[in-house]
Amino acid sequence: MLELRQITRAYELGGERAGVFAVSLEVPKGCLAVLAGPSGSGKTTLLQLAGLLDVPDEGEVRLDGEAVSALSEKARCDLRLRKLGFVFQAFNLVPVLSALENVMLPLQLQGVTDEEARRRAGSALERVGLADRRHHRPDQLSGGQQQRAAIARALAPDPLLVLADEPTASLDHAHGGPLMDLMAELAQERGVTFLVASHDPSVISRAHRVFRLRDGKLIGEEVAR
Amino acid sequence: MILARLALRNLMRQRRRTALTLMVVVAGFLALSLAGGFMAQTFQGLADAAIRGGLGHLQVMPKDSMEGDEAQSLEKALPDGEALAARLREDPAVMEVLPRIQFMGLLSSGAKSVAFLGTAVNPVLEPRFMACTEALKGGIQASGGTGSQWLSADSAAREVILGVGLARALGATVGSSLTLMSTTRDGALNAVDVEVAGLQDLGLRELNDRFLTVSLATADQLLDAGAARSRLSVVLRRPEHTAAEQARLQVLLPETFVKPWFELASFYRQVKLLYFAIFGFMGLVLFLVVLLATANTLLMSVMERVREFGILRAMGLQPGQLLFLLQWEGALLGLMGSVLGLAATLLLRTGLNVLHLQMPAPPGTSHGYELNIHFVPGVYALVAVGLQMTIQVSALFPGLKAARLRIVEALRHV
Repeated sequence: MLELRQITRAYELGGERAGVFAVSLEVPKGCLAVLAGPSGSGKTTLLQLAGLLDVPDEGEVRLDGEAVSALSEKARCDLRLRKLGFVFQAFNLVPVLSALENVMLPLQLQGVTDEEARRRAGSALERVGLADRRHHRPDQLSGGQQQRAAIARALAPDPLLVLADEPTASLDHAHGGPLMDLMAELAQERGVTFLVASHDPSVISRAHRVFRLRDGKLIGEEVAR
Repeated sequence: MILARLALRNLMRQRRRTALTLMVVVAGFLALSLAGGFMAQTFQGLADAAIRGGLGHLQVMPKDSMEGDEAQSLEKALPDGEALAARLREDPAVMEVLPRIQFMGLLSSGAKSVAFLGTAVNPVLEPRFMACTEALKGGIQASGGTGSQWLSADSAAREVILGVGLARALGATVGSSLTLMSTTRDGALNAVDVEVAGLQDLGLRELNDRFLTVSLATADQLLDAGAARSRLSVVLRRPEHTAAEQARLQVLLPETFVKPWFELASFYRQVKLLYFAIFGFMGLVLFLVVLLATANTLLMSVMERVREFGILRAMGLQPGQLLFLLQWEGALLGLMGSVLGLAATLLLRTGLNVLHLQMPAPPGTSHGYELNIHFVPGVYALVAVGLQMTIQVSALFPGLKAARLRIVEALRHV
């Protein structure tokens, strides 16, 4: 489903060379994969490259068998809109929109009618247990609820791949665990592929596959039994 | 439409900042549209003064009348002006034709003589179509002007109406006897005794000091004019067709010049140019203020939403769509500003007009006028379009800044 081939992306950070170097990995469909490693190991950089938010210096990103990292900016935008979903550490909902409107947004950007977008967004919110909070603005939701809304927004357009950057970092243990359970269920039920960057053991413990990174290099891969 | 809705929500997010920006747009709209209404009043007043001051909508004149001065009275004249006037009166577009003779000479009280510029008019037709009696009312206020009345319709009457400055120079009052002196068409010196029937205030000091009016019959006796007339003032049934009628009548009367009033009213044209220069500059400054204010607001808004733009871009929003989002925000600011500006303009216009404020006399004129700011939808539309374009331009830079953000950097932005 997702394949990274010899990906390198280097940049200067505090006078030192940082980034990811010659990383290759493969995530099959319906898998909850985790990029694990300490801060500065290159998890977020790799996630951004896999999510087509950045372009590698070398190597190739393949999605569903197609090389996508060298596509034009416009084509990558279009691909992100139609095939990818994102969940960020700081929730990052659009503050002026309600939970429902936030989830409707990517659908409306795809050109889905308001009525259909409302139906699909409502259904996504229901799936993450936020049906009764759909008309609340982000500042009226708790951290866990905001992250659930962000997952609903990522899932509503039926993406092939959802990329999540430290999704539990801003949540306490009581909220983080159930959120990861939800992702694991979605991966199993709907065949959605998740690539999660995290160093949270509760996230790693729920993963189907773990890629361990250190200093921008892949140092190990574990597959859950 | 999702971008429009998002833009509206973004404007509502920072209500105070949006309100402050709107105030700048409203102030700009108000200033420009009130200035436009004031200009319209001035232009309308000057146009009326020119047309009803004797020019009419069209002037028919001899072909050589625009070249050089006359050595003697009626040297450049329509030889059979009265017949031409009668012919023109039959034209369906023409309401009336007012023949005039322009002449010059000396006016003497016996003790003192003063050079004058005279106009001879039809004493019956003139008050019906021109503002001569209004000028007469102004003259009544001058010393010696009490009892002023218009020229008698009796062709045997020898009367004169003097500009207030001319009367003052001669020490003449209503009822005074004076002598008009000029040369006939043949160049012979001639004189006619006249009685002052009234004084008139023409609004311009230079005219008041030199100008007098007599009947065509009096001028005929003084100048031996016969049927010759200097000019014919044509009053049209449809003044809005002046330009078209001028072209048509010029073809019909190739032996003459047919000129529209706006080509001959030099004061009107000069004031128009001056106003366009003054208010054009003012408009430019106001547009610049609006441009800077809205650009500042939108730029601040962009700087505060860098992370949000990163999220939108990550979701798949194209850079052009971000630019479009900012354009929508500008468009909504402009639309709201224009609607509020129009409401404020109409309110303030009504308030100012109700106060009947007296404006001071403009330079070179002798009396003021009442402020009456006109309702000019064309100007409001022009101002709204101008402001809208200004705001759209001001939204370009913040929009480009947002569109050029690198997603990974925007997502890291705190």
